[in-house]
Amino acid sequence: MIQKIALLVFVLSFGVQADIAVIVNPANANVVSADDLNRLFLGRASSFADGSKATPLNLSEGQVARDEFDSKVLNRSSAQLKAYWSKLVFTGKGTPPKEMADDAAVKAAVAADPNAIGYISSGSVDGTVKVVTTF
Amino acid sequence: MLKKSLIAFAVSGLLIAPAHAEVQINGFASIKAGMTLDSDDELYGYTNDLDFKNESLMALQVRSDLGEKLSVTAQLMGRGSNDFDIGFEWAFITYQLNDNTMINAGRLRGPFYKYSEYKDVGYAYDWSRVPRSVYGLGFDNIEGISVYRTDIIAGFDSTLIAMYGGYDGTTGLGDGQLDGFFGASWELSRDWYNFRIAYYNADASLTFANQDANNLLGALNANGFAALAEEIDFDKDKGTFFGIGAGIDRENLVIVAEYNRTEVDNTLFANRENYFISVAYRLGSITPYISHEWERHDSKPEIYQPYQNLASTPLAPLYFGAVATVESQAKEADTLNIGLRYDFHSSAAFKLQYTSQKNKLLDTRVGLLVAGVDLVF
Repeated sequence: MIQKIALLVFVLSFGVQADIAVIVNPANANVVSADDLNRLFLGRASSFADGSKATPLNLSEGQVARDEFDSKVLNRSSAQLKAYWSKLVFTGKGTPPKEMADDAAVKAAVAADPNAIGYISSGSVDGTVKVVTTF
Repeated sequence: MLKKSLIAFAVSGLLIAPAHAEVQINGFASIKAGMTLDSDDELYGYTNDLDFKNESLMALQVRSDLGEKLSVTAQLMGRGSNDFDIGFEWAFITYQLNDNTMINAGRLRGPFYKYSEYKDVGYAYDWSRVPRSVYGLGFDNIEGISVYRTDIIAGFDSTLIAMYGGYDGTTGLGDGQLDGFFGASWELSRDWYNFRIAYYNADASLTFANQDANNLLGALNANGFAALAEEIDFDKDKGTFFGIGAGIDRENLVIVAEYNRTEVDNTLFANRENYFISVAYRLGSITPYISHEWERHDSKPEIYQPYQNLASTPLAPLYFGAVATVESQAKEADTLNIGLRYDFHSSAAFKLQYTSQKNKLLDTRVGLLVAGVDLVF
């Protein structure tokens, strides 16, 4: 019984705890704030605090972490974000971050590129990438 | 000539793009059906017969990254009101000077209003159409060069667009041209609120679409009233546009307001003041909204008043012709819009909008109902 309750508590707490990890290449020593993430993923900035180029990588639509990231970090629904990007795309002012198929693809790309920044479900994190913040 | 060659240059850029160039193809479309609610009533091109073409459009954008910070973009659009004939709505090359600065050259959209650059991309806003009586210059595009710059200033995200160029084509009053067009738009936004200011000017010339007005100018010149003709016609006369706007977007409440003033010195062009306010509230995937537009075009009686002695002479027809022509520019109208946007699909929105416009000079009212789908791909 107690084991079952403990398991239940674990599952519930896992559900509400930080479940998105923002990841960069282990060689990247920059601090990344929520404001920085907003600017990078909305196309309003393209470099890290130290001035090096930043390449944001999105998850494709429909991935769980994508919805979480859109609503928790960017504070917008996916329809609002699509409207936002269509303003920039069709006026020649910007292009949305490249979309990757899943956590594994984002992780592999970040592990291979010192300029990349992405986000994945916390459970997918391993030693090939560095977590800068969680949500 | 310069303008045509700029477009040709931009388009040739697309054609000579190296084989490895990254090419993005995007598009948007709107399919709108609408009709006015009373026979004989007309508004925004709609009549009392249900129409599927008037505000429908399709556009395809091709952007090719040529490397070395250079890219080329062409947007081809077909409007239902023009039988879906395809034309280049935008065609420009972009040079990314640095992280914050972009230089565009070619055919661009004049950034007069908050929504003017993407007014054709219905998916990008909640209304069925941008507030038309406020966005009423009668032309959209400028051929020339622009600088687009983003900064962070005292915690605000700053967006500055400065533009120089010209225009040659149809306007609200007839075929014409703008020379030496220049000015800038500046927007500041932070968290949930934003401000905007814009100023542009140019030398305007045109031939009136209204033949009576052209005949009047001929008669005035022939009878020794060239000075009066000059006060009416557009012959490199200085036009100025000034606009301000503000918006908030907080906890699903979206409020936007804009005001603008347009004047063209030494022409019959009325002093135009237009403004609107819009309030929308997001309820999940449904966003109901209400907006009100005010259109105030004050005619310029000071043009013909010095000549009122003519009224009792054989030249009276010239005087009354001038009065009628100048006064034809007066307008006072209020427009109410009520509607909703429904995001029924991840790339498409359904919209329904009722518009009621009251012409306060004629004391008439027209109702219009439009439903449709805006999508991006």
